[in-house]
Amino acid sequence: MQTPISLKSAERQAFQSTFADGLWDVFIGCFALQFAIAPLLSETLGDFWSSAIFLPFWGLVYLAIWLVRKHVLAPRLGTVSFGKARRAKMRKFSMVMVAVNALVLLVGFLLALNFNQIPGFGIASLFSLLLLASFSLAAWLLDFPRLYVYGLLLFVAPLLGEWLYANLGFSHHGYPVVFGIAAGLIILTGLVNFLRVLSNHPTIDAGEV
Amino acid sequence: MGDPQSDLHPLANIDQVIHAPARLMVLTYLYVTESVDYVFLMRLTGLTWGNLATHLNKLEAAGYVEIQKTFNGKKPQSILRMTPAGRAAFTQYKKNLRQVLDDLPEE
Repeated sequence: MQTPISLKSAERQAFQSTFADGLWDVFIGCFALQFAIAPLLSETLGDFWSSAIFLPFWGLVYLAIWLVRKHVLAPRLGTVSFGKARRAKMRKFSMVMVAVNALVLLVGFLLALNFNQIPGFGIASLFSLLLLASFSLAAWLLDFPRLYVYGLLLFVAPLLGEWLYANLGFSHHGYPVVFGIAAGLIILTGLVNFLRVLSNHPTIDAGEV
Repeated sequence: MGDPQSDLHPLANIDQVIHAPARLMVLTYLYVTESVDYVFLMRLTGLTWGNLATHLNKLEAAGYVEIQKTFNGKKPQSILRMTPAGRAAFTQYKKNLRQVLDDLPEE
């Protein structure tokens, strides 16, 4: 039996327990996987469709996570609704993520206009910094420390990919390899956590209170 | 030195319904959330189903906790939330306990 020391730590413990199931990790891993697959598809589908094709993919991933949460995890872990302060923090997180994504789109658009004049490492550095900044912000706003590690992993990926491309001749700026590995590690972490939750928390035979 | 009974007065005012460790733990989690279901609370507190039910019944009888019975699909689900009276009592409990502990001399 764990006794909370303070109200703040109790709230934090309750909130962090909602990340213990590994599904967020799988979601982030799928996000990273997109950067590994899109460059490979761009040759056959073109730049627009190689990215647009991920929209239904995201819909399916989201639906799968929602179904697993509702039918597999909720009976094992229960459900919680947080108070005003935490909801305000989540709103702030959503706004920050929208702003970061808008910035990424804007930078991407500007880079596309001058793509040939910018050195590969310049683009990779910018991409790395954006990933690190957005993941660190998310880790801080969500009290989800694993996101710092994922941010670092994704920060290294474009730079390493560019190095592999420049020095060892890897195709597509090395993205399929580096983002594939990063996505694999993140999804694996999520699946390990998910399986651990399933084995540690069997379905509770519901009685009446 | 003052009258020992008056020194201990805040201690006598401590709400015994809240003061039991298991109920204090339950109320702490309910205080920091808007609502939780039975399974979530059981997992966080480490209490057994029956033990938690006993404490929740006491808290409900005191008017500190509201238990709403719903269904999640075909399964029954109990949603628990702290009532305004429970919040007021918990805040008063914190105040009283803090006063007692703050008044204790350092060793």
